[in-house]
Amino acid sequence: MPVLLQSLRIIDSEKIHSPKDFILYDNKVLPADESLKLDFEEIIDCSDFLASEGWVDLRCSSGEPGDEYKETLESLGELLAFSGFTKAVIMPNTKPVFQNKNDIQFFKAKTAQWLTDPIIQTAVTKDALGEDFTDILDLNAQGVFVFGDGINPLSNPDRLMKSLQYLQKFDGVLFDHPYEPLLALFGQMHEGNISTRIGMKGIPNLAEDVAVQKNLEILKYTGGRLHFQTLSSKDAIHKVRLAKEEGLHVTADVSLYQLIFTDEDLITFDPNFKVLPPFRSEEDRKALIEGLKDGTIDAIVSNHQPEDFDAKHMEFDLAHFGMIGLQTFLPAMVKLSEEIGWSLLISKITKGAKHVLGIDSEGMESLTVFSPDEEWVYDKKTNISLSANHPWMGDTLKGKVKFVYNKGKLAKF
Amino acid sequence: MSQLSSRHLLGIKDITAEDIQLIFETADNFKEVLNRPIKKVPSLRDITIANIFFENSTRTKLSFELAEKRLSADVVNFSSSNSSVKKGETLIDTVNNILSMKVDMVVMRHSSPGAPHFLSRNIKANIVNAGDGTHEHPTQALLDAFSIREKLGDVAGKKVAIIGDILHSRVALSNIFCLQKLGAEVMVCGPITLLPKHITSLGVKVEYDIQKALEWCDVANILRIQLERQQIKYFPSLREYSLFYGVNKKMLDRLDKEIVIMHPGPINRGVELNSDVADSEHSIILNQVENGVAIRMAVLYLLAGVR
Repeated sequence: MPVLLQSLRIIDSEKIHSPKDFILYDNKVLPADESLKLDFEEIIDCSDFLASEGWVDLRCSSGEPGDEYKETLESLGELLAFSGFTKAVIMPNTKPVFQNKNDIQFFKAKTAQWLTDPIIQTAVTKDALGEDFTDILDLNAQGVFVFGDGINPLSNPDRLMKSLQYLQKFDGVLFDHPYEPLLALFGQMHEGNISTRIGMKGIPNLAEDVAVQKNLEILKYTGGRLHFQTLSSKDAIHKVRLAKEEGLHVTADVSLYQLIFTDEDLITFDPNFKVLPPFRSEEDRKALIEGLKDGTIDAIVSNHQPEDFDAKHMEFDLAHFGMIGLQTFLPAMVKLSEEIGWSLLISKITKGAKHVLGIDSEGMESLTVFSPDEEWVYDKKTNISLSANHPWMGDTLKGKVKFVYNKGKLAKF
Repeated sequence: MSQLSSRHLLGIKDITAEDIQLIFETADNFKEVLNRPIKKVPSLRDITIANIFFENSTRTKLSFELAEKRLSADVVNFSSSNSSVKKGETLIDTVNNILSMKVDMVVMRHSSPGAPHFLSRNIKANIVNAGDGTHEHPTQALLDAFSIREKLGDVAGKKVAIIGDILHSRVALSNIFCLQKLGAEVMVCGPITLLPKHITSLGVKVEYDIQKALEWCDVANILRIQLERQQIKYFPSLREYSLFYGVNKKMLDRLDKEIVIMHPGPINRGVELNSDVADSEHSIILNQVENGVAIRMAVLYLLAGVR
């Protein structure tokens, strides 16, 4: 049955449009037209809300299989919908790693009831170790078109080269988390003034810059589609900018929390701020925003990486890397909306993210409606994730997703 | 002011210049106590202190223990060699177990930078950082500055060169913070691979040539090569290091002034420091050791006042 949404302000990459009525009907979001004589199941006043085409997250992790106590596919599905995402790429770094036909079947069965469209990223090398290849064509026959070793960089140049070549048979895209491990040995945080002050081993920007430069040279040689994930360094962004100007088929994303936090936040040794790539300098943060504005960076991702209490409640250098980021995604966007603007933010989780995946935007089949003003307390009670590794835990946050429409279903929160 | 601004001593970074002066003045009094026939005062007789050392230590542990006993505190010792840490128990559990035994203060050495900060957020006792990885060693910096003050009258306006493995040294970092807070100028000197890339952000001068560093300074604080913290190669060999960064008498003879030589110990004789310098009249190394007890007594005494 159709639902009428009244006075909805739609955001797209151009602007926030003036309020209009929309109808959710027949798996589509249609402008209300008087010629459509429909009996509405429900009429909802949306005059306090903003909305856009459903959101796309290109990088989030589940703990299942292997670390179900951190996040299951069921809890991740609930979390994605609750956080406004109608499409999401799930990382392969589970135990075992997503890398064969059986894994795909398991994944499909576990995500069949999701409101969000799940896109599985499978490892391009076995166990995501950067050595032997997975059965790439066989995986593609199961519908996989996003490949990459997830949290592990594909630092072996030969493997990267051959992956980029092999994926071209079906126009697949290689997701790469670029950093040179030998230049980041034992690193715990961004190498800079703060790491010097607190005596912590640093991860220099150089580790990312070198990997990006090297991988772009390889892409120039091979052709194919390369997507850099979670860029963090000013110079790396500039290298991607130049490569795009040169016409290389390269795209890039950034973690939303990388636009909020800097290495200054690590001065108290709080392991909740320990992420990879690390929070870098304010100069890098500003360069990331510049990269978003000029189109060098195509997408913003949650980089949701659940870690249990015991993996974080310990000495900083022993704690695991990672932060959850789905439920706080909208509140983080609210914080950034003054600096960046809603149109740009939304475009990076709709049109931009779909561009990375090679999905054409035609009409609206999904919708995310949210209140940018509603306040709520982020605590044990409201947290949907099975993990709580986020520094805002316990804070009052602003911004709440109200409705998500996808696959013809409307979820209200 | 007769109280510290913090209830813990986690690092020099976290205390004020006034705190440092108060510690020095208190240490002056305790130093006098240490030279009495009866070297003991009853100040901490209702206090129990746990010395928890997750890393090897001889002199720092001994110095703390002596300071605690001179203050009449009850002392328990725990070290990693016979600890439950190797059985997989977490730091917080280990310390909580010790605290269940009603310990008031914890003196901790640990290999992780920030471990005492983590602890201070999770347990009620006063924490004294006795060295946390490559971060800070605040009581060492305090006793170093106290020793300079004793030898040269004041720290303000003095030029101090810290020479050696700065990258892996908690002593260097604490010394930089402490000396700067007291108005000294600081230079670091060593092979470029053993200097943090962003060290100048701390407002220190950088020199790669040791002779030039010695010519510049009033005090040279020579650090040990921290081979145990170097997980990879930073320089070709100890032989080359001692040839180009070891301090010997000939180098001091070439100077047109007298400088003070310091070392936090233990010395690798013949590597960073030759015996003809370590045992010379320039050296205040043993004064540092003596002052260490007075400084630690002062720190423990003052922290007990802000419980």
